Parts: sequence; C-alpha cells; structure tokens
Amino acid sequence: MSYSTFNRKHFDSTKEPMFFGENVNVARYDQQKHPIFEKLIEKQLSFFWRPEEVDLSTDRKDFQRLEEHEQHIFLSNLKYQTLLDSVQGRSPNVALLPIVSLPELETWIETWSFSETIHSRSYTHIIRNIVNDPTKIFDDIVTNEEITKRADSVSKYYDRLIEMVNLYNTMGMGTFDVPGRGSIEISMPKLKKALYLTIASVNVLEAIRFYVSFACSFAFAERTLMEGNAKIIKLIARDEALHLTGTQHMLNLMASGKDDPEMAVIAAECQDEVRQIFIEAAEQEKEWATYLFKDGSMIGLNAQILGQYVEYITNVRMQAVGLETCFATKHNPIPWINAWLVSDNVQVAPQEAEISSYLVGQTDNSLDDSDFDDFDL
Amino acid sequence: MTSISKPKAPEKKEQVHRVLLGKKQILVTEDEPLLVQLERAGIHVEYQCREGYCSSCSIKLLWGNVIYPFEPLAWVQSGYLLACCAIVKSDIEIAFFD
Repeated sequence: MSYSTFNRKHFDSTKEPMFFGENVNVARYDQQKHPIFEKLIEKQLSFFWRPEEVDLSTDRKDFQRLEEHEQHIFLSNLKYQTLLDSVQGRSPNVALLPIVSLPELETWIETWSFSETIHSRSYTHIIRNIVNDPTKIFDDIVTNEEITKRADSVSKYYDRLIEMVNLYNTMGMGTFDVPGRGSIEISMPKLKKALYLTIASVNVLEAIRFYVSFACSFAFAERTLMEGNAKIIKLIARDEALHLTGTQHMLNLMASGKDDPEMAVIAAECQDEVRQIFIEAAEQEKEWATYLFKDGSMIGLNAQILGQYVEYITNVRMQAVGLETCFATKHNPIPWINAWLVSDNVQVAPQEAEISSYLVGQTDNSLDDSDFDDFDL
Repeated sequence: MTSISKPKAPEKKEQVHRVLLGKKQILVTEDEPLLVQLERAGIHVEYQCREGYCSSCSIKLLWGNVIYPFEPLAWVQSGYLLACCAIVKSDIEIAFFD
C-alpha cells in the first residue's frame, strides 16, 4: 500500500514482479531478476553526451536563409519534440518509481528519464541559437492547438496511472469518489491494466512519435542545412532507440507471463486496445505531417511520403511487440533516413570519431614486462 | 640453427549457406552478420543501430538456424532474427512483412 522510500521488510527481490510487488529497499545489482535492464543502463551511460558539445553557429545562418514555410516545419518539430521530452523527462519517474519492485529496473527508469532531460536541454540550446526570443517558441507549446492536441494523447495514460497509484497508496483498494473526477475503482487488475497501457503508449511515443521530426531534421541535413541540429537529433535518436527497447522488453516480459502471470492475462485482454494506441498515434502523426507541410513541402519530403514512413515505422514497431502489422506500406519510402539514424558513427568529441560509446580510462591490466620484450627505442 | 615454423592451421573451409527470401536466393558465409551480406546482395533491410539494441532489423525466420556471438540487447521475438548481429548457421528462409 503506502509507498516507503526504504522498505524494512526482508524479501528476495529476484522473486518480485517488475511492478506492484514490494517497494525496492536496497539498491543492489549483484543479483538480478531481469539483467537486461542493467545492460540497458550500461549502454545508456556509455552514450552520455552534452548538447553544448555540438557547435550550432552555422545553423543560425542556415535558419535565416530558410524559406518561411521551412522555418515553420523546423520550429514546429522542435516544439513537438520539446513537448515529448518534457513529458518523458519526468513521467517515467513520477508514474513508475512508486510501483517498481526490482532495483535494476528502478535504476533503468531513472537513467532513462535522466537522458530525456539532456534532450530537453538540447532543444533550449538549439532554440537559443537560432532565434532571438526563445520565449515565443516555448510559449506556443502550451497554446498552439496542433501541439496541445498531442500533449493530451501522450500524457493521458501516464496521468491516469499516476492518479490511480496515488489513490492506491493513500486509500488502498476500493471505489472512491474523487471531487471533480467521479468514482474511480482501484483494484490490482485495474492498476495493472493502466500500467500496461501506459507502457504501450510510452513505447509508441518513443518509437513512432519522434520519427516525423527526425525525418524532417535529416531531410534538412541532406541539403547541408541545419547540420548542427542534425547532429543533436542523431544523438537523441540513438538514445530513443535504446529507450524503445526498454519498453519493448517490459511489454514482452509482461505479455509472456514470465514476470507476473496475472500480467499475461491483462496483456491478452488489452491487445486490441494496444493495437488501437498504435494506430491512433500513426494517424495523429500523419495529421501532424499535413500540418507541417500546410504552406509548402521541402525538397525530398512531403506530407504523403512522410505519412507512408509513419505507416512503415508503425508496422516495424508493432511487429517488435508481437502485434499484427496494420498498414499496407511494406517498404521504407525514405530509406536514406537509416544512414542518418545509424548510431555507430555518431561523433560528439574528436576522441570518439569512430565509436560512439567508449569507456573512459580503459587500461589493459593483463600486461606484464614481457609484453615489452620486442620494444626498442 | 633450426627454425621452427608453426604448423600451418588447416585452411578453414568457408561455410556457405543459402538464404531464401521469396523467390530470391542469396549465398552467405558465417564470417559476417546477415545484414551486411543482404545489403551487399542489393536487398534493402530496415536498420538503425546495427549493434543489436534497436530491433529495427528484425526479420521473420521461417526455418533454419542462426546464432548470436553476442547476445543482443533487443528482444528477439520467437520466429524472428535480428539481421545486424545474427550469424547464419544453416540454409535459412526469411521473410519481411506479410
């Protein structure tokens, strides 16, 4: 019931489910129920980057030379991404930490959220560089109807889960009348269902919703425009690709019943609803593409091609979580995007020109004197 | 003075396997992951990370065996393979979306 920051019970955390078991007490990683989350943490830490490492001085000049409808495309995408990462920088922590039961998963959630805050800071870095008054852009995120429509769909599952967990933690199980919200039933199956749908909607957020923006950023960079921005987006895309694996693992572990048998039943019941979350998001993203190109397209990209890409990427993501694909587009209409999305040549600092994840201060401890025998000065 | 020369390792016979994809047939070796070999054969495969964590290059494996020298971070659905890091170990048949 009530959340404790240090659960005094003695229990074996490897026997707990991912969520809704005991609150985590000791943050220990020597024994793990799902070692994959520890591996994701290590990978994410090896990806660490800072926005300030990317030089944006030529982007400012490029931006001023863009046509007005291209500036609209560029800024609208930035606003949308700012919204998505504002949500993602806090929500996994707020929604999932109070109910997580495995130390390795708890730390993955924190590591994941933290990396989203780097993304948010990078948008400020970009916006500061290209416009004189960032406030105009940030203010529009909460007033622009096209953006706020999206804010509702990306936050509603999180908000519902948070509301239910708050009730569960204070009142326990039962049906409660919440002023202004009506009666809300709290039971373990209802909580688990809210959780499952939340993870699915987060998977959609990171695996589909970002990709329209990514495509536009890289389409500018194909024309050698806004290349600093494209470098940052490459780093963000690398992080997001890892995050979507995290939610795919959670969804697949839940559906398999290996983690929590009750969750498998709920996953099966929710299958249609999850499919609908994917389809609805794809439709919204296609609408977004139409809004982006309302005053004109850009070279190499238009609303129709982008719409086909959304359908294609949605198929790829649905397949990854074991759902039947639902769109007719079976081929990537913009295959050049993969050369931009590939992360093995991401360069942020000169010392890592070839590899994107490296360990600092790596030494080879297995050397001995004889290794220098054929070494002459 | 006698020189000791290391006995020559018996020349490794290159293992070649057939990959069936619809009506196409591609020959692949065990030296490299499937993805690069498909690309060299002119087949477009969706990819992103190329190191096993993003699952973009997941392809249906209808029959046959593949192995992963390093266990990928991505979840590999049963009946699928991850082209960027799978080494083909027998003749196989693969398929993209239905």
